[in-house]
Order: sequence, then structure tokens, then C-alpha cells
Amino acid sequence: MMPTTSATRVTLRAEDIGKAFMSGKVRTPVLDGLSLSVRAGELTLISGPSGCGKSTLLAILSGLQRVDTGRVFALDQRLDDLDPRALERFRLLHTGFVFQGFNLFPALTAREQVELPLHYLGVPRREARERAARSLEEVGLAHRMALRPAELSGGEKQRVAIARALSKEPALLFADEPTSALDAASGQIVIDMLHRIARVHGTTVLCVSHDPRLIGHADRVLSMEDGRILNDRRETTPGVPTEGLVP
Amino acid sequence: MVALARKTLVHEWRRFLPAILAVGFAGLLQLLQAALVLGIFSSASIYVTGSAADLWVGYPGTQSVSLGRSIDPNVEGRLLMDPAVERVEPFLWVDADWRGQSGTGGESVYVSGVDPRPDGLVFARVLPPALRMRLREPDAVIVDQADMDKLGVRVGDSATINSYRVRVVGASSGLRALGGVNVVASLDTARVLDTDPADRDRPTYLVARLHDPAAADAVARRISGARGFDRYEVWTASAFARRSVLYWMLDTGAGAGVLFLAGVVFVVGAIITSQTLVAAVAGSVREYATLNALGVGMRALRWVVLEQATWVGVCGLLCASVFGAALLALARGQDVPVVLDVPVALACAVLTMGLTTVSGLAAIRSLRHADPASLLR
Repeated sequence: MMPTTSATRVTLRAEDIGKAFMSGKVRTPVLDGLSLSVRAGELTLISGPSGCGKSTLLAILSGLQRVDTGRVFALDQRLDDLDPRALERFRLLHTGFVFQGFNLFPALTAREQVELPLHYLGVPRREARERAARSLEEVGLAHRMALRPAELSGGEKQRVAIARALSKEPALLFADEPTSALDAASGQIVIDMLHRIARVHGTTVLCVSHDPRLIGHADRVLSMEDGRILNDRRETTPGVPTEGLVP
Repeated sequence: MVALARKTLVHEWRRFLPAILAVGFAGLLQLLQAALVLGIFSSASIYVTGSAADLWVGYPGTQSVSLGRSIDPNVEGRLLMDPAVERVEPFLWVDADWRGQSGTGGESVYVSGVDPRPDGLVFARVLPPALRMRLREPDAVIVDQADMDKLGVRVGDSATINSYRVRVVGASSGLRALGGVNVVASLDTARVLDTDPADRDRPTYLVARLHDPAAADAVARRISGARGFDRYEVWTASAFARRSVLYWMLDTGAGAGVLFLAGVVFVVGAIITSQTLVAAVAGSVREYATLNALGVGMRALRWVVLEQATWVGVCGLLCASVFGAALLALARGQDVPVVLDVPVALACAVLTMGLTTVSGLAAIRSLRHADPASLLR
């Protein structure tokens, strides 16, 4: 388990970043002069209305998109001057993703979904199988490992997606609207799980959502509007258990 | 390694079925047209493939058996001088005009003058010894069962060839000719039928059997181009047979037709297959994008698509092989001329796999939509 001292380490840093999209000849700025630091061992939530630029910010901090201006650092590495190949490599080694749609391959069992990225990471077959099983146990799906997505509920699918991200043992975990497609109970389980991953593994968990239910579960909430951060506040969450992810 | 490509193919077989069927049909069409064309044109070399000779000696540059010109009969001595040669036999080819009894008018026939001994080399595989021996009778000829009606005769009837009276003493089978009718006679009879004074006492071909058929290539090279004779050329039986078939395929335009049809089948198959693969990739584009977000490189994802295309090709080829074998068996049962050898079957398989590879490469293009940033909504 991660020592609590590293919980204060800044792992993601954006300095004066700007991003605009072109639609035809019209240039629409999405982010403008935004600066931000995100720390390890916490669940940081970016909330705001749709179109406020929160997903773009997530894409930039995770190395999925480039900035137009400014600088982006992740784990002390500058992302904005990496070429696409190097960015892929960085993501392979250090990042996990959880998306709103679970994006699981229909043909693969839960265990295979989790194993798949590990192979590309160069993990030997047997170890990949063991790590996949461990991650699925951690999200409470040990008994559902052999099932395909069609046989799993929405909440279970999202937990497989979390296990897939988790098994890579990433330092950075990004989640985009992870609860939007889930019912209240499943959403609760998922957000608790993300929170515990931050605490238990010392992972930097950055979550983007407009779901107000999540606010109470985050360590830090950033409110965005029109491409700027309006409010940055720390929640004093009640003690989250640091053992195991399943309540 | 999790076999993503293969597992997806098995799990979503309905999605891939059109591609597999397209590949299968393309493979089947290539296979059947090749077998049919080879079957039809292999009759151009029946004189060679139906004989037991290892070497054929003829006029230099002869493109097909049916285009032979007479050669120096003394070459026979040169052949027999070679220790590898066991036996030599002349073969006479006469283009002639046939007139039957029942007013069928003139018919162009190819008269093959062969040695009527029961162990004669030419047509050893087509004429049973007993039938062959009947050619010893004066003016006797044999025609193919399938040509009887065309020639207007039955066994025992008389007819005239080049105004010379002959008698049909038997019927062969499997001796149908391309672009004419085969008539078999003894060497003596054929000489009488040959009205060209330039051919007097000269054979069209000399055929030889070797002690060791495997040495045919070396012996052919050794015997070729001996001085002191009129010009001649030596071919191994297989080379001369191939030469004859190829001549007919190219001369009649059938070869070009085969290539054209193969091209059409290739293009149509590739279009259908690539469309199906594109749809399959598009259906999984969000999953591919997620893998890319997790750091799995585009290169690795392209390999997954190519692997999928390869599996589609393999499945399609299996279908084509099963249906092809069944249809070829059916065709043989119905006396449809079909011939398929290993190199041609392999060529069809390679063409079909080429088609799926091209389709896979086309489908790879749709991976460009697998942008992980597009998953963030």
C-alpha cells in the first residue's frame, strides 16, 4: 500500500493551457489560460455543465489530445512535446481509463478483457492471468470472471472496465462520466471503488462528471464553466477504508 | 496472448459470414474456372498425356502437337544410339478430310498414325491392346465413341478420308479433340492417307521411352541439336504437353479470358470482403479506441484487423475447398472435362488469400476513426 506521504505529491500539472476547436472557419476556444495541479492518492472530480471543457481538460491531462498553448506535465514528464508514438507508450505504462460506455469486446470474457492490455504491456501470459484475476477480485467480480459482457449488468461491466484499467497498475487513472450510464446503486459502488483505488494504491484518480451524486465522494472538487475553473474546494470526506475496494 | 481476432470472429460469426462467403465464392469461382479451362484444353495434349513416351522429338519450335511438321526419319538412329533410350517409335499426324456414309458432308479430322503393336507407345493409355491390334487390318481406323454421330458412322461402317476408303474397326473413349475429330490409324494406313508429297516417308514426331523416365530432362538436353540431320527439337513429355495446352489457351484467347475473369472475381470478392471487414472494424471502433487510450499502439491494432482478415480468408478457403471438391467430383461423374493439379489449386489459394489481405488493408483504414479522444463525451 502506498505511504500517505506520497498523497501530497503533484502528479498532473497544467500551466496556462489553451485549446480551441475549429468548426469550418469558426474557431471556438474551449480552454483558455487554465492552470491546475492534481495530486496523487486522491480522487479529484471535475464537475460542470456539458460543454464547459471538462472532457477536453481530461483528454489533455491524459495525453489523448494536444494543447494549442501552454505546458502539460504528467509524472514530471512533459506531455505536450511527445510524438504520438511516445504518447501511446506513456499511456501504456502509466495510465488507466474508465469511460462512460464500458467499451468491452463482446467476444471476450471478463478475465480476457482485463488480460488483453497486459499482453501489450509485455506481461508474461501466466502473470497476466493472475493479475487479471486479482484485479477482478478487487472489484468484487471474482465469481463473474468467465462471463462475457452480454451476461453482465451495467454496473458489473463498468467494474470490469475498472479492473481492466487497474490491472495495469497505473499511476494515473482517468474516468469520464463513469456513473452516467448506471443506476444509483451501481453508480455508488463505482465511485466508491474509484475513491478507494486512490487511497489504497496511491493512484491519481481524475474523474470528470456532471453527476451531483459524486461530489460527496471526491477528495477535491473543481467546478468548471466556460473553459475556466471557477471553484476549487477540498471535501472533508468521512474515513474511507483503506483495505479492499468492495464495501 | 488473448486471441482477440479469432475470438471475435467466432463470437460474431454472423457479422463475418458475408465476408467468409464472399471469399469462399471467389475461391470457388477461381478454382472451378481453372479446372474447367484446364480440363477443356488438356485435350490438346491428349496425344502426349495419353502416351507412354518420355521424350518427343519434332520440328523445331512446334507450339502444339497439332502443328507438327515432318522431320528427318534418320534422327531415330541418333536416339537409339543414346544408351538411356529404350525404344523409339514414329508418330504420324495427318490433317485430313472425312466423308461418312450418311451424308454428313465433309468433316475435318486429325489422323494419328500409330504403331499398332499391343505395346506401342503412342496412345498406350487410351487404346487397350486388343483395340489397338485391330489397326493392323488394312485401311482400319478407330474413332472416338463421342464423335460417332458427328462422323455419321458406327463400328463396321466404311467412310473415306482424303478420298481413300477406310473402315471403322473400333471405338475409343476419352480421345475427343479440340477443334476437330481424332481418328487413329496404323502408321501404314496413315502414310497412305497423307497426300502431301513433302511428308513422304517422314514422321511428324519420333517418341522415345527411356530406361529411367526421371532422366528425361538430361537426355532431352543431350540429344538436342545433333549435327548431320535436318533440324529437330527434343522435349520431355510433360514439357510438350504443357506447351500444347498453353498454345491453345493463348491462341484461342481463353488464357486472357481466364485472367480477365480471375481479375473480376478478385475485385468483386475484395470489395465485398473489405466492406464486411470495414463494418466489423467500425462495430468495434470504440473498443479499439479504448485499447488505444490504454496505450495499445495503432500498429498492434492494425495487426488485429489483418489477422481477422486472414482468418476470414482461411475459413473462406475451407468452404471453397469443400464445395470445390464436391463440385469437381460431380463434374467428373457427368463427363464434364475438369482437371486440377496442385500448382493451380495453390495459385487459386494464393490469389484468394491475396484478396483477403487487400480487403484487410482496406479495412485498416477505418481504424483511423478509433480516436480515443472521441470516447470522451
